[in-house]
Amino acid sequence: MKPIRSLDQLAEHVQSSCTKKKIAVAAAEDSNTFDAIVKATENGIVEAVMLGSAERIRQLCEEKSFDPAKFTIIDIPDELKATQEAVRMVKAGEADILMKGLVGTDKFLKAVLDKSAGLLPAKQIMSYVCALEIPAYHKLLFISDTAVLPFPDLNQKIAMTNFSIKMAKRFGIEKPKVALIGASEKVSLTFPNSIDYAMISKMSQRHQLEEAIIDGPLDVFLACDKESVEIKGVKTAIDGDADILIFPNIEVSNAFYKGLMLFAGAELGGLIQGTEKPVVVMSRSESPKSKYYCIALACLMAEER
Amino acid sequence: MSVKKLDQLIDLAKTKEKKKLVVAYGQDAHTLGAVSKAVDLGFVDVIIVANKEIVEKVCKEEGIDPSKFEIVNEPNEISAGRKAVNLINEGKGNMLMKGLISSDNYMRAILNKDEGLLPAKATLSHISVFEVPTYHKLLITSDVAVIPAPDISQKISIANYLIKTAHRLDIENPKMALVCLSEKTNPKIQQTVDAAIITKMADRGQIKGAIVDGPMGFDLAIDQESAQIKKFNSPVAGDADCILWSNIEAGNVFYKTVTKLCHAELAAIVVGAKCPAILSSRGDSTKTKLYSIALAALMA
Repeated sequence: MKPIRSLDQLAEHVQSSCTKKKIAVAAAEDSNTFDAIVKATENGIVEAVMLGSAERIRQLCEEKSFDPAKFTIIDIPDELKATQEAVRMVKAGEADILMKGLVGTDKFLKAVLDKSAGLLPAKQIMSYVCALEIPAYHKLLFISDTAVLPFPDLNQKIAMTNFSIKMAKRFGIEKPKVALIGASEKVSLTFPNSIDYAMISKMSQRHQLEEAIIDGPLDVFLACDKESVEIKGVKTAIDGDADILIFPNIEVSNAFYKGLMLFAGAELGGLIQGTEKPVVVMSRSESPKSKYYCIALACLMAEER
Repeated sequence: MSVKKLDQLIDLAKTKEKKKLVVAYGQDAHTLGAVSKAVDLGFVDVIIVANKEIVEKVCKEEGIDPSKFEIVNEPNEISAGRKAVNLINEGKGNMLMKGLISSDNYMRAILNKDEGLLPAKATLSHISVFEVPTYHKLLITSDVAVIPAPDISQKISIANYLIKTAHRLDIENPKMALVCLSEKTNPKIQQTVDAAIITKMADRGQIKGAIVDGPMGFDLAIDQESAQIKKFNSPVAGDADCILWSNIEAGNVFYKTVTKLCHAELAAIVVGAKCPAILSSRGDSTKTKLYSIALAALMA
């Protein structure tokens, strides 16, 4: 497989090479995600099961001049019950992907995380990985965790790293380069993150993680800019050509991607990781394009191998 | 040419500027015998702080000419230790050796806050150099005597002591193994976390002058075949010059095993103080004492 280098290539790849996925949208009466679902349906990458208030879903279809017959609509006006039913469908294999509509994130995740009926296996760490397309960078950059784990500990960082590597591999990147991001490349006993990173690099060297080229701590310059590597003379196998950035905490990763979206025209596709099946949760503030990419990403990750 | 045998420590020490050895309470036959040889070999001058009468008597019994030493008369054991340390602080000597003084009193004199030899915040530790007949080169190993369970900061200091020692033995880019139970890292086993930190610091040039890898089992560090069988890829595997032990028990059992069961010889010194200090025990052979003096001379 030729590596996917942009989000449009992702969308094309899904459309041309993946089977159509069934997506269960919980509380689907959501004007924020509606356009993305419509586009995904029209492009034939998903078949949408819209769970929620049938009346309001039909109303939305009318407003957007979309034929409601192209959806399967299941009338469950209560948002929690709609979510629980959507989770059940995905767990039972009646749908391939779960997506959050107009339901609070708290309620939605409660249903996803339910011990017996939910989608997260016992002891599994849940995290979030984004594929970020930055006009000034020569390829996609996978980043984690921008949404789920606020202050990841070592084990959670290991999980974030493994999830990101697995996702990058699904994009056809055979041996992704993973940079563990800090403020500098030095190891310092007063910076606990740098110690976690030393540990993760060593675990990778000892083949205890998903196969990849891993190094850290590195700053963003050393991770993504060859010239900085030369100027600083730091020996790193990442060599300014990172595919994946692992961030020390959610504040850093969040500021990184939002800054790039706002000031540098970046787009993204993101997905929850760790669940039995792909779960799409997108923020209202994301661009229409990014919302579509999230669905395309879920389709790629749901594809049987 | 790097030093490959302990005898070569003496050869190398002879090529350097002559050092001045201060012996604390050196009034026993073993100590006087060893320092006498060192003086005869020409790489040290010796000041002995002890009971002058006893020194002269023992020398006579052993057939040693006491005039080859400078003798400072101090009949009291504890005072002799202090006086020896003072001589170093006054710049009259550049290496220290323990004689008949107890290890406790000797270390106390070195560690004394006001009049001792330990710079502020320095880590006092211990280095041994082993010649094991079945290994193809010398093995420079970390603390088997002073720090029971070094923490990560102490291990970083110790790693630097090992590297400095190798350099003084003309081993230019020594290979250092951070020895644990196996090569696997485990967040729950602190030694493996420490090893990961130290290797990364070496990667980043925060620890310089050596090729560093760990964690690894001791077999992987010194035996190429084990490394091949276990498919262990490391620039250090099977060819380690330096071993950093996880704790004192590992090092101490190694030391006693190779000396008692494998006919190994060794040189050992205390490092981290203002000057190298020899902490030999009565159980050590005269050879070990002489090698230790040569090692201290090279480190001074």
